[in-house]
Amino acid sequence: MDSLYLLIPVALLLVALGIKLLLWAIDNGQYEDLDKEAWRILSDDKSPERSDSEAESKTDD
Amino acid sequence: MCCPGCQAVAAMIAGSGLDNFYRQRTAYSERPAASETPVREQYLIYDQPELTDAFCQTQEDGSVSARLLLGGITCAACTWLIEQSLASVPGVTEAAVNLQQSRLDIRFDPLVLPLSEIFTRVDALGYRPRPFQASARREQMRAEYRADLRRLGVAGFGMMQVGMFAVALHAGDIQGIQEQYQGLLRSFSLLVSGFIVYYSAGTFFRTAWRHLKQGALVMDLPVALAIGLAWLASAYATVSGSGQVYFDSVVMFTFFLLLGRFLEARVRQRHANNWFDAESALPDAVSLRRDGRWITVPRSQADQGEVMLVQAGQTIPADARVLSGNSAVREDTFNGEHLPRTVSIGDTIYAGTVNVEAALEAEILGSYAQSRLAALQRSVEVAETEKPRLAKMADRIASWFVAGVLLVTSATAIAWWHIAPEQTLWVALSVLVISCPCALALATPAALASAASALRATGVIVRGENALESLSRTTHLIFDKTGTLTEGKLAISRVELLGELTEARALQLAAGLQHWSNHPVSKAFSHIQPGEVFQDVNYKVGAGLQGKLDGRQYRVGSESFCREFCPALPPPPDEQRYWIALCDAQSPLAWIGLDDTLRAEAKAVVRSALTGGLELGLLTGDSSPQGKLLARELGIDDVRTGMEPQQKMQRVQSLQATGAVVCMVGDGLNDAPVLSLADSSFAVAGATDLARTQADFVIVDDVLTRVTDTWQKARDCRRIILQNFAWALGYNLSAIPLAATGHVPPWAAAIGMSLSSLLVVANSLRLNRSPAKEKGL
Repeated sequence: MDSLYLLIPVALLLVALGIKLLLWAIDNGQYEDLDKEAWRILSDDKSPERSDSEAESKTDD
Repeated sequence: MCCPGCQAVAAMIAGSGLDNFYRQRTAYSERPAASETPVREQYLIYDQPELTDAFCQTQEDGSVSARLLLGGITCAACTWLIEQSLASVPGVTEAAVNLQQSRLDIRFDPLVLPLSEIFTRVDALGYRPRPFQASARREQMRAEYRADLRRLGVAGFGMMQVGMFAVALHAGDIQGIQEQYQGLLRSFSLLVSGFIVYYSAGTFFRTAWRHLKQGALVMDLPVALAIGLAWLASAYATVSGSGQVYFDSVVMFTFFLLLGRFLEARVRQRHANNWFDAESALPDAVSLRRDGRWITVPRSQADQGEVMLVQAGQTIPADARVLSGNSAVREDTFNGEHLPRTVSIGDTIYAGTVNVEAALEAEILGSYAQSRLAALQRSVEVAETEKPRLAKMADRIASWFVAGVLLVTSATAIAWWHIAPEQTLWVALSVLVISCPCALALATPAALASAASALRATGVIVRGENALESLSRTTHLIFDKTGTLTEGKLAISRVELLGELTEARALQLAAGLQHWSNHPVSKAFSHIQPGEVFQDVNYKVGAGLQGKLDGRQYRVGSESFCREFCPALPPPPDEQRYWIALCDAQSPLAWIGLDDTLRAEAKAVVRSALTGGLELGLLTGDSSPQGKLLARELGIDDVRTGMEPQQKMQRVQSLQATGAVVCMVGDGLNDAPVLSLADSSFAVAGATDLARTQADFVIVDDVLTRVTDTWQKARDCRRIILQNFAWALGYNLSAIPLAATGHVPPWAAAIGMSLSSLLVVANSLRLNRSPAKEKGL
């Protein structure tokens, strides 16, 4: 049980890392629009990435 | 299909393989209003670099990123449609729509694609693009949203961590645990929860303190007390190695409460983003005469004294005096009336009104800040500050609750002091923790969020804070007439035949001539199929039309215009309607009476409001007898006609002074000041543009019955909130005696608190259950 003295601080470090990542993501604007992301998966026929690259290739022409 | 706009949108959607939109959308898009100017031209102005600096940035590789504000976005499928159809346009490298802010971020190559083309494409999809202006208020809102999210996220992490320790501690309570490990777990719980209390719950302490300084007891006070005292007591227990710890309850409580409030704010803020902005009604471009030529410049660059040209169908960009031309301007912005005022040389025309008939040249009288429209905007802001603030139900209960809890706690402490002094502190603290107002504090936000999203599904947008509560307490329901109880457009209501023509033939002749006019009156004839085509049609502004058919000259128009042609014309049959005459050179043919028709659903609304026990009233700026007739027909007793906006506001204020809670139903810009003064307000807007609407509730689908439906929903919401309070208080009341007698271990307190909160949330979700109403497209 003495391992608790090591494992709990390690767990806390991981939590701190997680919080840091979360705050970074929030400040980065990744949670600005919580509604759209739920829909993105439904656009199955054309992913935004693909249509973007298509648009780019058309631009190059 | 409801209109040509929809059809165009549907064609475009089907044509580009985007028919998925119809499978994915959850709400109907707003109907695009028929545009009176060619779409593309009105956006050409954005190709000028000096105008786009504010919302465009040129990147290193030569591409440009622009931010546009989109009007009319209703659901996530809209964002999908816009993103998909723009991304397939050559020249666009990136298009992302932010639904929360109604904002489009687009990156494109200006050499391939001009910015005006992007505006035009978005417009063609049925949304209203505008430059996105970063304002202080918008920035502040975004900062608040992020701060809320940060607090919530950190509390969530902390809750999981402290919860893990708590499981071990609770298990230890039951099975036995060595003191050194108990101490270890408690110390780490103390550490983590201390951070959460400081970082996430800090907002409760600040709000409670701010209000306390002003002598107000708000819901945040018992919340802050519970969190603060429970944490301090647990910290003391940890340090002294005695008693009980409640760290898990503290953190869980913080998380759930932040979550409830975050969700409620999110439902409301989506549409609060578009606040009242009268200036957005004005065109961005002005056509000015400089050095003898007409040039188009941004509106902000037009100076006083310059001469501008306003085409027929355009919105007038600035207050001005007419220098040449005859036309009529529709001033429903200011008076709500649909019949235009005839203007000629020397008359003043106002920014925000629409030039209906013919082009005008006018001298600009001043900047936007000096215009009549800006005065309207200011009076809205003044009215906002004069609006009576009803105390929130939760805050009123909170003050009783705080007093009650403190009383019970001190009574418990005194009692235990006499029975067993060494137990006093712990029992008193467990009373405080048990009476933790988690469910009580969640009762309101959960119900409000649930009701607001249910209303959204039926075509009502909730924008005002506290609006549902105010609406549920409404005693007086006041309507505006034009555009609210009536359709807001003229329709043929009576035909008085003077010759031997049949009614159908007379209407056909009139329609054939009216076809050449763009006066609002002509819209009343647009549903009639014109027969033969008239020749040599002449249009006289402010009077009527003349045309030739089979060698005979006909005139349709005002009384004086027709009498000049045919002196035998009798006077119009009555004064209640707007009459136009039809005649030929020899004989009068017909009087056609036009009327603003009552909305089909108006009667049903009035009836259900009356059965609901509301006092009804009608305030209208129209001074014709039609208002009184209409009110009698509907059964509204309190009618005031010919009211100036100022008088409308005084009327509402005098009602409020007698203790009435007033709900005002109006239709947009001209009613904006009185709408913001009323306790709660509806705008029957057909809401193509939320920014021009000032109301707590916006009825998007243009159906008046939503007023009473929403009122019903608000009352349901109030009932649910009361049920929630009853449960939360009942739970506390029954648990406090147990705690006061020292029978509640901390794990039981934690479980009881969570279950009670869950029950409140589940009860609130019942508001969302009503079947979605059928919507017309």
